[in-house]
Amino acid sequence: MPKDYKDNMPISRRKFIEELRRYEKGSVSRRHFLGVTGLGFATAVMAGAVPGLRPRKAYSAGELGDRVVLATWPNYHDEANFSAFTKATGVNVQVNVFGSNEEMLAKLQAGGSGWDVFVPTNYTITTYVGEKLIEPLDLKMIPNYAADAFEPRFADAGTVGGTVYAVPKNWGTTGYVVNTKHTKGKKLTTWKEFWDITKTDFSGRTMVHDYQLTTIGNALKYFGYSFNSVDPKELADAEKLLLEVKPHLFAINSDYQPPLRNGDAWMSMCWTGDGKQLNTDMPEMEYVIGKEGGEIWSDFYAVPKRAEHRAAGYALINFLLDPAVNARETLAHGYPVADSRTNKLLPKELLEDPILYPAQELLDTLEFGAAATLTDPNRAELLARFKSA
Amino acid sequence: MQGKWINRLLLMPATAWFLVMLVLPLVVVAIFSFGERGAAGGYVPAFTLDQYLNLPARFTAFKNTLLLAPAGTLAALLIAYPLAYFLAVRASPKWKTILLVMVIVPFWTSILIRTYAWIFILGGRGIPTLLEFIGIEGVRLINTPFAVLVGIVYGYLPLMVFPIYVSLEKLDKRLLEASADLGSPPLRTFRQVTLPLSIPGIATGCMLVFILLMGEFLIPALLGGGKVFFIGNALVDLFLQSRNWAYGSAVAATLVIIMLVTVTLYMKLVARVGEQREDVSIL
Amino acid sequence: MRLYAIAVYLFLYAPIGIIILFSFNAGRHASDFRGFSVKWYGKALDNPFVMDALTTSLTVAFTTAVLASLMGTMAALALQRVQGRLRALYDGVIYIAIMIPGIVIGIATLIALVTAFNFLNPLLASAWPGGKPPRLNMGYASLIGAHTMFTMALVIVIVRTRIAGMDRTLIEASTDLYATPWRTFRQVTLPQIFPAILAGFLLSFTFSFDDFIIAFFVAGSESTLPIYVFSSIRRGVTPEINAIGTMVLGVSLSLLVAAQFLLRMKARQARAAG
Repeated sequence: MPKDYKDNMPISRRKFIEELRRYEKGSVSRRHFLGVTGLGFATAVMAGAVPGLRPRKAYSAGELGDRVVLATWPNYHDEANFSAFTKATGVNVQVNVFGSNEEMLAKLQAGGSGWDVFVPTNYTITTYVGEKLIEPLDLKMIPNYAADAFEPRFADAGTVGGTVYAVPKNWGTTGYVVNTKHTKGKKLTTWKEFWDITKTDFSGRTMVHDYQLTTIGNALKYFGYSFNSVDPKELADAEKLLLEVKPHLFAINSDYQPPLRNGDAWMSMCWTGDGKQLNTDMPEMEYVIGKEGGEIWSDFYAVPKRAEHRAAGYALINFLLDPAVNARETLAHGYPVADSRTNKLLPKELLEDPILYPAQELLDTLEFGAAATLTDPNRAELLARFKSA
Repeated sequence: MQGKWINRLLLMPATAWFLVMLVLPLVVVAIFSFGERGAAGGYVPAFTLDQYLNLPARFTAFKNTLLLAPAGTLAALLIAYPLAYFLAVRASPKWKTILLVMVIVPFWTSILIRTYAWIFILGGRGIPTLLEFIGIEGVRLINTPFAVLVGIVYGYLPLMVFPIYVSLEKLDKRLLEASADLGSPPLRTFRQVTLPLSIPGIATGCMLVFILLMGEFLIPALLGGGKVFFIGNALVDLFLQSRNWAYGSAVAATLVIIMLVTVTLYMKLVARVGEQREDVSIL
Repeated sequence: MRLYAIAVYLFLYAPIGIIILFSFNAGRHASDFRGFSVKWYGKALDNPFVMDALTTSLTVAFTTAVLASLMGTMAALALQRVQGRLRALYDGVIYIAIMIPGIVIGIATLIALVTAFNFLNPLLASAWPGGKPPRLNMGYASLIGAHTMFTMALVIVIVRTRIAGMDRTLIEASTDLYATPWRTFRQVTLPQIFPAILAGFLLSFTFSFDDFIIAFFVAGSESTLPIYVFSSIRRGVTPEINAIGTMVLGVSLSLLVAAQFLLRMKARQARAAG
């Protein structure tokens, strides 16, 4: 992996931050800053979206307010993009991180989440619509969303009954990351090996998500069952395996990067981007998609009903969908996008990266999560039993 | 007669408040605990005992709580007592106030932040690395019951130190001197004079810590890695993950009943031990 | 003995030391020290969400403390003259209020209020005469409500203990001298129970300010400081959190020192005057 692929970008991440610092200090003009960083494009698009208003002034006090609350997943954004958004609009972004779709749903169901934008996964959207928790998107407020630029299989889940409720953020896979320093040269390729080595050589060093879909789904894969199974007998097998493995786990947590980085944990269930981030900083960290299959997913931006800073929420979605901004997001977090405009801006190395774009025969085995999996009471209860065991 | 009206008037706001914010919620929990989970979560009215019959599914969480809460209370007591004794009996008056204040000061930063600091201390780059320097390898502390216990003792130590200090402070030092003058060995003095006098403080401290530990959620969540589960963690999960309000209500109701029983028994016991002492109270 | 005390203080202060140390970290990750800097203090103070959370926490804690000490004192005063079944009932309620774990208070309040609001909101909307009807929601009111419930029980216990230990002859003397009940209360009872009320007030404030678990459930879209810290911790701790912790500690310490100083001044003045 060439270290300098980031420099093929219109502007490298480090350079961007340097420029931002300089701009903050006042040593460069705003136009210079926007020009160099490509933000000019972004703000110009935004300005075009709001007729008769120019950037900065367009979002002066009262227009968008000064804050927006985003509920998202761990390690899923480029912090510099948020700073740039604040600079451009005066809106500060508060990021709340969640480790499972269930947690997001529970918070919305209990009323008053306080979010303006959140990031649900493909299979949950019909439930949110059915429960009347999210609003149909006002696409006029998201001019950067061009439906035809997106690969349908990663965008379709956002449309329910012909109405667009959510626009695609990123897609990815759920595999696992393993620190090869500890595998004694053995190459792990399957979920069976993931669970088996946890019970032996990796005892006390493995992490699984605090998330029923993936933790149960990948335990089901041990037996070759469907990732989405709600069959009581198959779930019983998965539960038996999970209970057997539990004493050997390091932790049950969806924010697994810190212990993997400091060496406390050696292996964890892992999403594409975390795998990429870890692998970039620590080449010994290998991202594996279990041969038996597992999950492929697509995340979306959606707006909860009665969002308090609704306009700012839309502005944030629009900003993040700007191809230049989106490209920087991907460079920072390592999740692929289904947007052809963004991909044009990304370096070739990244578009051929096997972590982001696994081989076709691996992809073919993967399943999208199913709506029934989210609401199935047995799966929810199974995970809770596993955790409290 | 006028006094009666004034009394009613004085009691009214508190009564209304307790009715809406305590009695009503508890009644709702009681009702919901006989209901069922909705299709996408939440609650659907029903009358069934299923939720209570399903309680064994949280047996380990109840067991952990009922083991680790008393264990944590005891550990806090064992560490707090000598300190309280030192402060009350041995410390020079000049330093006493400052030392006492220093026990509370850590309390002024959020418990969250302090517990987070322990993740660092107990994590791979903290104590285990130090231990490696002296040749002890492969020690794992974080995400174990031990880590949770450390967090508990740390978080609740001041609550234990203070009541004990207060009761020991009342102790007349001349009693100790007299006992020593009469040739009584220190241990015997402690057993016959100091300890009985400090029982009210011990009782109060243990009660405070125990009550808080029974509902603990944060410390196991942060230092237990999602593996060491208290009933509080099970409750949070039931409401914030699996959205099973009916079952969650049954678990909550059970916890309340367990607490009512244990705390009441405990108070009776303490009352009997301290027979003639009336200064044993929950505060 | 002394060594033991030193060890315990080390135990108490090691995490505090680490919090303070890392608040000056120039790097982005809380546990990876990259040189000295105070920039995170600036960031925390510039962050409107931190300031919002702080304002919310202070408002809620202050309102809670006022309501709890006011209503709790009133109830304690009334209860001393109540006997029999009502008294027993009240004692039971207070006992339960203090004994129930915060997490159960939080959950019970959440489900009770959400259910009530789901029922009341449509009614309110249909009965509203024109315009946009207000929506009942979890937020400030539910948070203050739950905190006040719990701390009020504490205040009642504290004040009642004080009343029980009060010198009754003074009240009798005052009544004998034909003072009105109000005057007796103001000039005799209140000064005697005031320390207890103050203690109750401070305890309520501190509890409310530091509470996480009840707020976690009932705060709705409001964010208190502990809630902000909790969600930031999940996001990977930056030294900003340490800076916030250090500042809260610093402010409370200086308040304490100031209070001590004032007390000493007063004592000195009193001595000089006497």
